[in-house]
Amino acid sequence: MSSHYNPLEHPEVQQGTTGRYIAAFLASAALMGGAYYASTQKLPFVEFVTMAAGLSLAALVSQLVLFFGLNVSQAQIWKGIALFLAVPLFIITIGMTVWAFSSLYARTMPMDGMVMSGQPTLLQ
Amino acid sequence: MASNIPAASAVLWNPSADEHDPISARTYGFWLYLIGDALLFCGVFASYAVLDNPVNAAGGPLTAQVINAPHGLLQTFIILASVLAYSLGTVSLKTGNQAGVRLGIIAALLLGAAFLYISGSDLLALAAQGDGPTRSAFLSVFFTLLLTHGLHMVFGILWMLVMLVQVSVLGFTKDVVGRLLNLRLFWQFQATMWVCVYFYVYLLGGSR
Amino acid sequence: MQVALDGPWSPLLGRLSLAAIPYSNPILVSTFAVVVVLGIVIVGAALRYGKVGYIWREWLTSVDHKKIGVMYIILGLVMLFRGFIDGAMMRTQQLLADGPNSPGYLGAQHGYLPPYHFDQIYTAHGTLMLFFAATPLVAGLGNLIVPLQIGARDMAFPYLNATSLWLTVSGAALCMISLFVGEFSNATWVGLMPFSEMPTNPGVGVDYWMWAFQLSSLGTTFNAINMIATIVKMRAPGMSWFRMPVYCWSSLTTNIIGLSIFPVVTVALTMLGIDRYCGTHFFTAGYGGNFMLYVNLFWIWGHPEVYFLMLPAFGLFSEIVPTFSNKALFGYPTMVAASFSIGGIGWVVWAHHFFTMGMGPALNGYFSAATMLVGIPTGVKAFNWLFTMYRGRITYATPMLWALIGLVLLLIGGLTGMMLSASVFDYTVHNSLFVVAHFHCMVLVIGAALFAGVTYWWPKVFGFKLDEKNGQMYFWTFVIASLLVFVPLFYLGFAGVTRRLDYIYNPALKPLLWVSEGGIGMYFVSLFYFGKMLYVSLRDQIPAAADSWGTGRTLEWLTHTPVPFYNFAVTPQINARDELAWRKAKGLEGVQPTQYVPIHLPNNTAVPVILGALATIFGFAMTWRIWWLSLASLLAIIVVVIIRSFDKNEGYILSAEDIARMENRIALASIVAEQPKRPALVQVEAH
Repeated sequence: MSSHYNPLEHPEVQQGTTGRYIAAFLASAALMGGAYYASTQKLPFVEFVTMAAGLSLAALVSQLVLFFGLNVSQAQIWKGIALFLAVPLFIITIGMTVWAFSSLYARTMPMDGMVMSGQPTLLQ
Repeated sequence: MASNIPAASAVLWNPSADEHDPISARTYGFWLYLIGDALLFCGVFASYAVLDNPVNAAGGPLTAQVINAPHGLLQTFIILASVLAYSLGTVSLKTGNQAGVRLGIIAALLLGAAFLYISGSDLLALAAQGDGPTRSAFLSVFFTLLLTHGLHMVFGILWMLVMLVQVSVLGFTKDVVGRLLNLRLFWQFQATMWVCVYFYVYLLGGSR
Repeated sequence: MQVALDGPWSPLLGRLSLAAIPYSNPILVSTFAVVVVLGIVIVGAALRYGKVGYIWREWLTSVDHKKIGVMYIILGLVMLFRGFIDGAMMRTQQLLADGPNSPGYLGAQHGYLPPYHFDQIYTAHGTLMLFFAATPLVAGLGNLIVPLQIGARDMAFPYLNATSLWLTVSGAALCMISLFVGEFSNATWVGLMPFSEMPTNPGVGVDYWMWAFQLSSLGTTFNAINMIATIVKMRAPGMSWFRMPVYCWSSLTTNIIGLSIFPVVTVALTMLGIDRYCGTHFFTAGYGGNFMLYVNLFWIWGHPEVYFLMLPAFGLFSEIVPTFSNKALFGYPTMVAASFSIGGIGWVVWAHHFFTMGMGPALNGYFSAATMLVGIPTGVKAFNWLFTMYRGRITYATPMLWALIGLVLLLIGGLTGMMLSASVFDYTVHNSLFVVAHFHCMVLVIGAALFAGVTYWWPKVFGFKLDEKNGQMYFWTFVIASLLVFVPLFYLGFAGVTRRLDYIYNPALKPLLWVSEGGIGMYFVSLFYFGKMLYVSLRDQIPAAADSWGTGRTLEWLTHTPVPFYNFAVTPQINARDELAWRKAKGLEGVQPTQYVPIHLPNNTAVPVILGALATIFGFAMTWRIWWLSLASLLAIIVVVIIRSFDKNEGYILSAEDIARMENRIALASIVAEQPKRPALVQVEAH
């Protein structure tokens, strides 16, 4: 019962280490600094986006593993599974919204300077 | 299926099963909340992606004209340092070191305030030059995205102030320890979201 | 940045003035009179019988998952009644109003409702039915049953659970207040854009709708977190994942959906809110606003929301069909897989609600095909129920009847859904009564499942069954009424009648409108039998057995009836998937624990009720733009939460002797029995 329960000995308290947190900070900071540096070089757009996305993703993963301490241990596995189930939803929410709106303006409100992407109109 | 257990030896009741682990349940529940919060950010990001378009700028500026990428990088370093400070504070928690925990929280709090100061002054300057959130749909979502993140930070700082008092007044009770752990997740989550904001707004948006 | 308002505003009362009271509207005044009389009767009865203290101590401040579940269900049933009255008013208006110049009654130009009032009624109907009837009923049954089925003492976070309830109640309270102070939204339950924006909708109606929606979705999000954590962390020893009852699985999937979708609608509504309050331009017609963005965000929430309500209904069928077929559920693993596939597919089909937006053939094609895919796991479920019944010994008790009609309605709703999923067809019937008929068939599946669930578990909670004879009368009248109301709507939709019309011009359609109205009359008959069923059951209170239906299979039928507030005297050890069926097969169902150990339980707390009240005040103040009150109530919420966090109360210990005493006289432990005050434990610092 709770009177015998020492919260400080809980695995969630005991899991963090100074070294891991410092490594997380250095890795994230270096990766984001690198991404910023890439943006100051005049790289072609696609190349830059790939590079920045890769570096940012690496920064996110380093935070998940080192700061959040996600792993497959008994204490952490359900957090990992919850995140694993949620990541597709993050991608779907943003990705499919972008997709749904990608050609909407061209189709529904043509205005000066916009490419009509070859859609026949009623007048033609 | 265990249906082949002989009836006589079956265990039907388990009196020792009542001791569950409140801290694990608590951090897990909070983790679930953070996933919900991440989907809230996703909704704002999706809106940003749609409205970051010349049509929605209504003749006003787009991302590249309203951001300050070096400031953003500085903010990235500050918020990561703040998370580091708080995390090191929770390392002191392992040994029950109250002073270490307090030091970590205070450092994180000050760095968080510095982050908010930079963010706030940039946004205020933008509004002062006439590009406030009511200028266009794009600026509405730009301000909303940054302020959603900023508001989370404000709540984090308020939470830290409460925890500073609780660590002193209540000591390391089960509830206080649970809250300290959850606050670490919350604060770390803000840094993670900021990495997404920085990538999406400052790097990607700025390069177009 | 505050938006300029149309009309007067004062710092003390905001937009509120005496003109906001609709005392000239006879319908609202008589409704107000009814509500006041009912309120006086209820409060008076509580005072007369000295039950005020009991209600406060044992119910309103309770953190017991079963009491919270019961309160959710009461809220749901009350709001279901109000939503039904709104629906009846809509059908009557469409029947009476033949055209713009047809005779008008009660001061209306045609029909008996002015268009503006009619618009508020269909908005209220949709909002109430979804957020304050279906959602609380689903959440309430989940609260009641899931902890019992997994052998837990309570939810993972009892205090959060009570907070979820009171946030939902505060949303419902705002809807009720809007009846008598000001107006409700006239912009449909989905919030049409840019019509809901300030320039076209300057009144307080949209604000009421928005805050009611926001508060209840906050409550639902908290409840989803709580349910997932409970199922993941609190299962009894031996209950591995694949020994969990299917209802718990469907609860898990539904709450995964709930947790992931409600934040998105929070974003959409918040953006609408800052548009309305601060003058930004997310969804406005000018300044680059994109109102289809709102539609998109809304349906990212809205479509999974359908499955959020539907999956628990499927879970209920999966409990009820095996019990009344006296047979194990057919295809358990496929049931679980089907729940997850429905949840997953349900998340990626939202744009079929706006095929007509013009996103192009590639997207419409994708969303059509993805929508059709939902039919596969749903079909798996339907066939599994049929195979469960096949060669079973079926008892046609009321819950089983509801489950069977649920299957029939699912077939009608599902097949018309397949038609609608084809985008070419959808272009033709978009926003017509055909769509209305389709989704009402689907929500009637949910309704049937909820009535089935309430009837099924009623004896477990209260210790006596609902009256079978009147229950069956209620069932038959309700089913006939539903078919009479909604089958004509399919045809009307084909005939070109669109949704939300305040008159229908074509006299050739009159007979069908009469049929539909006849169904509304039949609903009133079914309401009578519902009341009679409650009255007869409460009067007679024939005690039910622990396994009330005699063929129960899952854990909740193992504990006493009525269920004690501590659920199980000793936590059961789980040996098989259908634990009770397994124990029965071994002849062990009567074996009671030989010794009791003390149980640790949480104390009741008034904080959730206070938070709910403050949230209502906050919503009201924001609606009327009483800034000082909004700020004060928001600060009060924060202060109350902080003060509560300094509370060292750690619940109390129920001693082994107390448990033994109550196990011998189970009425003492029933959730309607008043409990003596027990000393609280104080949390201590670790050393």
